[in-house]
Amino acid sequence: MPDLDLSFAALADPIRRAIVARLADGESTVQDLARPFSISQPSISRHLKVLETAGLIETRVDGTARPRRLKPDAVETLWDWLGQYRALWDEQFQRLDDVLDGLSDEKNPTTSDTSERSTP
Amino acid sequence: MNMNLDLNKLQLTLDGETDIVIRRDFTHPPTLVWRALTEPALIRKWMTAQDDLKRCEMDPRPGGSFLYEWAGFSFSGPILAVDAPHHMTHVEHFSGDPSYEVEITTDLVARGTGTRMTNVMRYSDSAARAVAIKNGFTDGMDEVYSRLEGYLTAE
Repeated sequence: MPDLDLSFAALADPIRRAIVARLADGESTVQDLARPFSISQPSISRHLKVLETAGLIETRVDGTARPRRLKPDAVETLWDWLGQYRALWDEQFQRLDDVLDGLSDEKNPTTSDTSERSTP
Repeated sequence: MNMNLDLNKLQLTLDGETDIVIRRDFTHPPTLVWRALTEPALIRKWMTAQDDLKRCEMDPRPGGSFLYEWAGFSFSGPILAVDAPHHMTHVEHFSGDPSYEVEITTDLVARGTGTRMTNVMRYSDSAARAVAIKNGFTDGMDEVYSRLEGYLTAE
């Protein structure tokens, strides 16, 4: 289970978001991760450290290679939290749509077909 | 964080360390959306757990305030800036947690015959924002209710 606070803070940085997006396609070495960015490898390593501390990625030991990969549960958990949070707003705004439809009918009582409106 | 869980019209983004940004399109013009957002009789119709809403007050002018009160807890705070029907800035406090304070700006912009609403909720820090996402909305208001019930029973 990732630390939600650390995770969201870690993902506040655009480079770290890009790294996570890249790792969503599969594991990658630090060199490969650094390639698209015009920043040094030590700098990428620092970003990776932040992501690892937040519990979002992990290092796999493969001989002398140390590829990084996403921790699948971590990312899913974040999406779940956000998904539930979002669902609450979504429901609320759908009710707001209904309120607005009601107001709009009030305002334009003659624009609607009365035979249709007799059906609740 | 650009996690756009964009299903239909709602876009939710975590911006920087402290902000949650919500964008939502409505098919009605800003004047109507503004009424629905600021008239208590209308707020009651869309508010979360509206059946249990005891008091619903909104005085949308600078120096005014709002109050949404359910059994045992409430959200309330001052209204800082108003430019009807396009803009409001207010601060929200939660009675269940004195440290909870969020500044909310609401902007309504006409788009064709409809409205695009942008809501920016600015928390004091990233921890407060994470708590808001995690606690406040895990199971909607049900969790708040059950926690408060547990608290009251323990007293």
